[in-house]
Amino acid sequence: MQARPGTGLAPAPVRPARPLPQRVLRWLLAAVAVAGFIGCLRLADVDPVELAEGLPTMAGWIGQAFPPSTEGLSTLLVRAAETVAIAVVGTAFAVVLALPLCVLAARTTTPSGWVRLPVRLFLNGLRGVDAFVFALLFVAAVGLGPFAGVLGIALHTWGSMGKLFSESIEALPGGPLEAAELTGASRLKTSSYTLLPDVLPSISSIGLYLLEFNIRASTVLGVVGAGGIGQELKNSVDLLAFPRLATILIVILVMVTAVDQLSARLRKALA
Amino acid sequence: MTALAVRGLTHAYGGVPVLRAVDLSVSPGEVVAVVGPSGAGKTTLFRCLTQLVRADAGTLELFGTDLQQAQGKSLRLARRDLGLVFQSYNLVRRLTAMQNVLVGRLADVPAWRVLLRRFPAADEALAAACLDQVGLLPYAHTRADRLSGGQQQRVAIARVLASRARVVLADEPVASLDPASAASVLTALRSLATDHGKAVVCSLHQVDLVAGFADRVVGLRDGRVVLDVPVSQFDPAAASALYARAG
Repeated sequence: MQARPGTGLAPAPVRPARPLPQRVLRWLLAAVAVAGFIGCLRLADVDPVELAEGLPTMAGWIGQAFPPSTEGLSTLLVRAAETVAIAVVGTAFAVVLALPLCVLAARTTTPSGWVRLPVRLFLNGLRGVDAFVFALLFVAAVGLGPFAGVLGIALHTWGSMGKLFSESIEALPGGPLEAAELTGASRLKTSSYTLLPDVLPSISSIGLYLLEFNIRASTVLGVVGAGGIGQELKNSVDLLAFPRLATILIVILVMVTAVDQLSARLRKALA
Repeated sequence: MTALAVRGLTHAYGGVPVLRAVDLSVSPGEVVAVVGPSGAGKTTLFRCLTQLVRADAGTLELFGTDLQQAQGKSLRLARRDLGLVFQSYNLVRRLTAMQNVLVGRLADVPAWRVLLRRFPAADEALAAACLDQVGLLPYAHTRADRLSGGQQQRVAIARVLASRARVVLADEPVASLDPASAASVLTALRSLATDHGKAVVCSLHQVDLVAGFADRVVGLRDGRVVLDVPVSQFDPAAASALYARAG
């Protein structure tokens, strides 16, 4: 092989061209992807003309919304507190429900697939149904109000939390548990004593993260009558009461930002 | 009396033989060092001894009970007589030295006490005595992840002592330690046999550590026992023959 002039290095190898069938296949796949996306645009009724026509109306609403109304602010604040309460109680219930199940869903603590896989399926099922949908069902079952929201949040979060907790158990080194199991002690004792201390920081962090998420999720629960500030939100939209709507959005924004900041700080302290 | 008697232990991973008819015995108060080049089958031997891996053939008697035949509850009860010291210590990082030693008492303590981490005074006294034994009583309330490697390994030895197991298996316990820490760990292991009458089987890859530590040396090579001699007969010539490249 000839050295490259002036460098003394061997010539850089030339990347071989892909064979023709592979190139054709790539173009075909790209064409299918583009066609699929166009189909999705059709199905979603995306229409830029409608958006353009609607813009002036929305601009008018924004104009009407100022200045935001301060009338009934104390009621709004009570509703906002209710939203936080739904998220806090719902998440706390989820922690209590998820702790025993995450042990059954983790490979390290439950090697038997006969138990682990059904538990995982159950948790995935809960996770697959949104808190909003659960709340809709519970409003029908237990009546209007924040308790239906609490149950909705708790059930959906149970699924997510169980899965995330079990993943953090699986991420721990298995050695300490193995050492404890050699003493012949029961699984309840060995796993609670050797896994809990090391997994506590990560499960607290997961709990805070889901609390943050649930506070955002609870702001809309009122739309289906499950309590909180969402109820006020829906009323104002229905009545086209824009100054009040602006106040509600500001309250939600402040609440969510404050909780996110607080939770982010706490999680940083745990890490 | 023999504490642990292994006869004809044979095991293969995916058709590749790793252990070929291994014989090994150890008596109470005796330290046996298992030495040999990498890949000789030391780790597999230890995994078979604890039944973390069940060997394909052979017998493995622990005070007369054949572990190869034991299953379920009888295996769990029999294994309580085995204490294991691992290369990676395997302590719970966020528990204190004392709480880690108490892992050795888990089997005899009610579940509610374990959940609340409130152990009976007698168990706490025993754990403290075990820590004192390995020279770490001043560190009783220090978290495991704040201790040095050698200190963590001594906590692991105290944990075995607290479990009252009569046979102690140590798999490369000093492989990741500096010479001074290694010496302190081996002293602690030696005292398990000398002062407490435990039977100790310990694998090592530094042959120079064997003298003054073990009573007997077993050399493993290609899954076979090629040497089983009192430590006085394990001289540099025997060591270099064991580690010499085949062919």
